[in-house]
Amino acid sequence: MADVKLAIVVQKPQYKGETSRLGITHAISYQTVEILLEDGDTVTPKLCFIGEGVLGLEKGQKAMEAYGVTSSETHLKNALLVDLDVFICKDDLDRFGISTDRLPDAEDMGADKKLQFVPYSEIQKIIDEARHVLFF
Amino acid sequence: MKMGVFVSDYKMAGDTLQRLKADGIVLVLNGVYHAFIKEGGKPSPVLDRASNIYALSEDIETRGLSAGSIDSRVKVVNYNGLVDLIFSDYEKLAWL
Amino acid sequence: MGTLTIGCFPGLVGSAVYDFALKLSDAAAGKGHKVNLWFSGNATGSAKANQKHLKDYSTGEKYVKALLEKGVEICTCEACTLARGVQKTDAIAGIQWNAMHWYLAKIHASDRVLHIGGE
Repeated sequence: MADVKLAIVVQKPQYKGETSRLGITHAISYQTVEILLEDGDTVTPKLCFIGEGVLGLEKGQKAMEAYGVTSSETHLKNALLVDLDVFICKDDLDRFGISTDRLPDAEDMGADKKLQFVPYSEIQKIIDEARHVLFF
Repeated sequence: MKMGVFVSDYKMAGDTLQRLKADGIVLVLNGVYHAFIKEGGKPSPVLDRASNIYALSEDIETRGLSAGSIDSRVKVVNYNGLVDLIFSDYEKLAWL
Repeated sequence: MGTLTIGCFPGLVGSAVYDFALKLSDAAAGKGHKVNLWFSGNATGSAKANQKHLKDYSTGEKYVKALLEKGVEICTCEACTLARGVQKTDAIAGIQWNAMHWYLAKIHASDRVLHIGGE
């Protein structure tokens, strides 16, 4: 029985490319990985956003209307709904002039988790403590 | 756990690499230019980011770069050497 | 011997990163390591069989088949692949199709993970 801790770090901005969205969906897939693991084995990702990865996470996105695709906002809320720990680099939000109240929560969907706004040093700690790190 | 960071671009990795703790850096693809180009006469600051820097021989040769002009801090490895580095020297890997 | 899992997201044509992932897989398998290769994003287009090798474009099919013969497990993200219009019946035989949790499960059993993001 083992738990493998992952740091999934999104460093590229949402939209234009799909990498950052795939970072969120790969993290969410931890929810069903147990069907492929031995009893008691788990994978625990922590989903982090740094640098330009903090761009494109704001409330009120209209990606479904414009492109017919699920928005990053919805993916982010789904991540909270499946109890992922989601960390946003506060240093980078400040650098880009984005206030934390512009980012969503998922209370309306019944999520207990909330986005956690932390300094980069906390993100580095998550990277240090993880067994593997995946940069998206 | 030691972290080996793969740098595959010449310009694009700066923001993350500046803050990430790296024990070793592996220059691959266009990342190998860090081992050769001296913008304004200065070596790439990427070479200061870790005590051990490696560059992939095949990517150096592909680009017509001469191993004779490589920065003295950079060790050249081939794919087999890279596999040994991955399994022997770095428990954790990051690709930027 | 160890286990290396590589996640490859850049596409076959237009990015040398895909070639790098295959060559590293080949070198690791050649040294006796267990290798798992996960295709997601644009890399999933390379699951398509009958690729034509033109000298101005990378080709992956021969390499992928050789890796499969060496015992490398290769899996393509089903949703990403179908989104690109590639059906299982059109795909290179031996490539597995699964969801993202395949990648996480392989990571669980790996000594080393090299995740190569896209773009």
